[in-house]
Amino acid sequence: MIDRNDGVIRELVEQAKAREGEFLDGLARRLNRGRITEAPQHPFRGAPDFWRGYELSGEQRVELFMKNWASLGGVVQRFADEDGLSDYIADVALSLQAKYLIRFDHPLLEGLELENQLPEVEMTVWQEDATEDLKAKAAGADIGIAVVDYAIAHTGTVVVASGGNRGRSVSLLPTAFMAVIRAESIRTRMGEVMEELQKRFGHNLPAGVHFISGPSRSADIENDLTIGVHGPGIVYALILDN
Amino acid sequence: MSHGGKATTVQDRARVALNDDFLRNAVKFTTEKLRSQKRVATDELGNWEEWRERARAIRLHTIAHLDYYLSMFIENARANGTHIHFAQDAQEAVEITMKIAEAKEAKSVVKSKSMVSEELHINQALEAAGIEAVETDLGEYIIQLAGETPSHIIIPAIHKNKGQVAELFSEVAGETLPADTKILAGFARAKLREKFLEAEIGITGCNFAIAETGSMVLFSNEGNARMVTTVPKTQITYMGMERIIPSLDDLEVMATMLPRSATGQKLTVYMSVISGPQREADSDGPEEMHIIIVDNGRSHQLGDPEFQEVLNCIRCGACLNVCPVYRHVGGHTYGAVYSGPIGAVLTPRLNKDDLETSGEVSMASSLCGACFEACPVKIPLHDMLLYIRRDYVQEGIPSKMEQLAFKAFEHTVSDHKRFKRAVKLGRFGQMPLVQGGVIRAKFGPLKGWNSYRHTPALPAQSFRESWRALDAELQGINVEMEADMKQRLQEILAKRRGT
Repeated sequence: MIDRNDGVIRELVEQAKAREGEFLDGLARRLNRGRITEAPQHPFRGAPDFWRGYELSGEQRVELFMKNWASLGGVVQRFADEDGLSDYIADVALSLQAKYLIRFDHPLLEGLELENQLPEVEMTVWQEDATEDLKAKAAGADIGIAVVDYAIAHTGTVVVASGGNRGRSVSLLPTAFMAVIRAESIRTRMGEVMEELQKRFGHNLPAGVHFISGPSRSADIENDLTIGVHGPGIVYALILDN
Repeated sequence: MSHGGKATTVQDRARVALNDDFLRNAVKFTTEKLRSQKRVATDELGNWEEWRERARAIRLHTIAHLDYYLSMFIENARANGTHIHFAQDAQEAVEITMKIAEAKEAKSVVKSKSMVSEELHINQALEAAGIEAVETDLGEYIIQLAGETPSHIIIPAIHKNKGQVAELFSEVAGETLPADTKILAGFARAKLREKFLEAEIGITGCNFAIAETGSMVLFSNEGNARMVTTVPKTQITYMGMERIIPSLDDLEVMATMLPRSATGQKLTVYMSVISGPQREADSDGPEEMHIIIVDNGRSHQLGDPEFQEVLNCIRCGACLNVCPVYRHVGGHTYGAVYSGPIGAVLTPRLNKDDLETSGEVSMASSLCGACFEACPVKIPLHDMLLYIRRDYVQEGIPSKMEQLAFKAFEHTVSDHKRFKRAVKLGRFGQMPLVQGGVIRAKFGPLKGWNSYRHTPALPAQSFRESWRALDAELQGINVEMEADMKQRLQEILAKRRGT
C-alpha cells in the first residue's frame, strides 16, 4: 500500500522534472531571448543604502525593541542576570496557574533551573531524541519558552530558527509564549539578521525561520481587534543583559 | 479560471452592493482605516518614495530574469527536500493536488489564505472527492461557511456583520452563540484547532519564494499559516510563478513594503521562512513538502510591454483601499477572484481568451490613478486599464450603438471646423433643456448620468475660445482691456471723484 502511494509521488516528481525545461524555456521565449544561465547583475539587492547606514547603539536597540514590543501588546521585561529571569518566569507561571510548560533544550534555560522553582509543574523539554509526542505536548502546554536567535529593534520582532532541540511548535501552540532574548542579539534592522542568517547557514537554512512580532491577532470580525486567534495571545519578551 | 456562464454584469452586481447599507458602510470604514494606518506607517518609516523605488527595482529585475531565478529556486528547493511541480493552468494544479491527496489517503485538508487557490477552485474539487477542505483564516472561515468568496484581498469577510457571523458559527456549534467578537473568535479557535490536528494535508499560498535559499515565505497575523505549516504531515503550497525574489536581503525590502501597504503594520505578527520539510532531527513541520508552481495566464504578461509590470504585484490590497470605485461597491461587484484596480487588470489579463466577460471590469474605473499612487511597487494600473479598454473595443465587444456613437464622436472631433460647428449647434439645441445652467433631462443617452447628477450646459464661451486669454495669462502677459470698456471705467471713476 505504502509503496504504491510513494510510487504516485515519485511519478509526479519525475513528471515535473521532465517538464521543467519546457516550462522555463517557455518563459525565456516570452521574454524574447534564450535561457539565462549566468548570474545577472542585481544592482538593487536588498535595502536602499541610506537604510543600511541606520545604526543604533546597544542601549538604544534594547530600548527601541522594548517600546515596539510593548506597543504590539506584548509584555517586555529586562533582567540583569539569570536569577532575576528565573524568578520572573516562575512568578508568571504561578500567577497564570500554569500546569504544563514546554521549553527548548538550551543551556541558558537549563541553567534557570525552572524545574526546581516549579515542582508542581510538568515541564517538557523539546529534544531531538524525545520519546513523547512533542507536538501534542506543545498543544497542551500553557506556556512555551524559547531562547530566540535574534531580535529586531525597528519592528519589535524576535527571530527563531527551528532545529532538533528547538521545535517551532513551542512558539506557536501554547497559550502563552516567552521569548528569552540575550541583549547582545538585538539588531537595529531586519537586514542585519538576514546577513547573519546567510553567513551562518549559507543557502541551507533551517526548515523554519520564524519572525514573530507580538501576540496573534485578527480584525476579521467587524474590524474588532481579537488577540490570540490561533497563536499565543500572551507573549513575553524577556531580555537578559548578562 | 473561467467565467463562463456568468449571468450578472458589473452593473447588476454594483446595484446590489449599493443597496446594501451595511456593506457600503463596512467597506468605507475598513478601507479608510487601512488607508490611514498605511499613511501613519509610511510616515513613521520615512523615505517612502525611495523604498518604493527599491521595491519596484527588485521586482522589475526579478521578472526580467524570471527563468533564471525560478530555475535557481527550483534547484535550491529540491536541495532542501521539497518536491516541485508545474501547472500550466488551474486544471493541472488541481490534478496534481488530487493525486497527492489520494496518495496520502487524505480525508481532510486545512488551508491558510491563498489567492492562487481561489483561482483554482480547489475546495470544490476536494469536496467532490469527499475530502473536507477547511479555511483557517478567520475571515476565510466565515465566508466559507457562508458559501461566499472574499470581498477584500486582506480582510475577506469585510461584508459580514457580527450577527451574521454568530448565525454561521451557531450552526456549526449546534447551539446559539452571541454576537460577541471574543466569544466568536474563541469558538473558531477551538473548532479550528480540532481541524488542524485531524488534517493529513496543509495547503498554503506563498507570499514570496526566495531563489537563493529555495524558501517559501508566508505573512500572517492570526498564526493559521504557521499552524498549517507546522501540524499536518504533508504540505502543499501553491505558488504563482512570479512570486520569486532573488535573496533574503530582498525579503527585507518586501517585508518593509507588504505589511505597511496592506494594514499599516511594521511587520505582520508572523513572517515564516520555510525551507523544505522537517529535517531529520526535527519533531515538527511537514514530513513532506510540495510546491506547485502555477502559471494560469501569468506567462501571457511576460514580454508584453504594456502588461509585464502587473507581475510585480505583491498582493497588498493598497489599491483597493484608495479606489473610489472599490470603496463604494466592495469586492463582489468585480465578480472574480481579484477585486479593485488590480483585479480590474488581472482578471481580463489572466483570462485573455474570454475578454468579453472578463474585460467588463476594466470599465468600472474612473482612471484617477489613485491606485498607482498607492502601489508599493508603482504598477501603472490606470494605464493598463486603458490598454484593456482598447483591446475590448478592438475585439468589437461593445454594443453597436456605442460603437456608432464613438464613430460619430471621432468624426466630429478629428476636424476642428466640424467640432466648432457641432458646439455651436449644441448651444442652440440644448436651449429647451437648460434650466439654471444645468440639464436635468433623464431620457435617451442622458438617462444614466442624469439619474444621479446634472449635466452642466455648454457655456456661451468654450474652453477653446477662452484659450487665447488663458494662455496669455499663463505666459504672464495680460491681455489689454478692450478700449471702450477701459474708457467707460475711466468715466465712472471720474464721476465718482467729481461728486
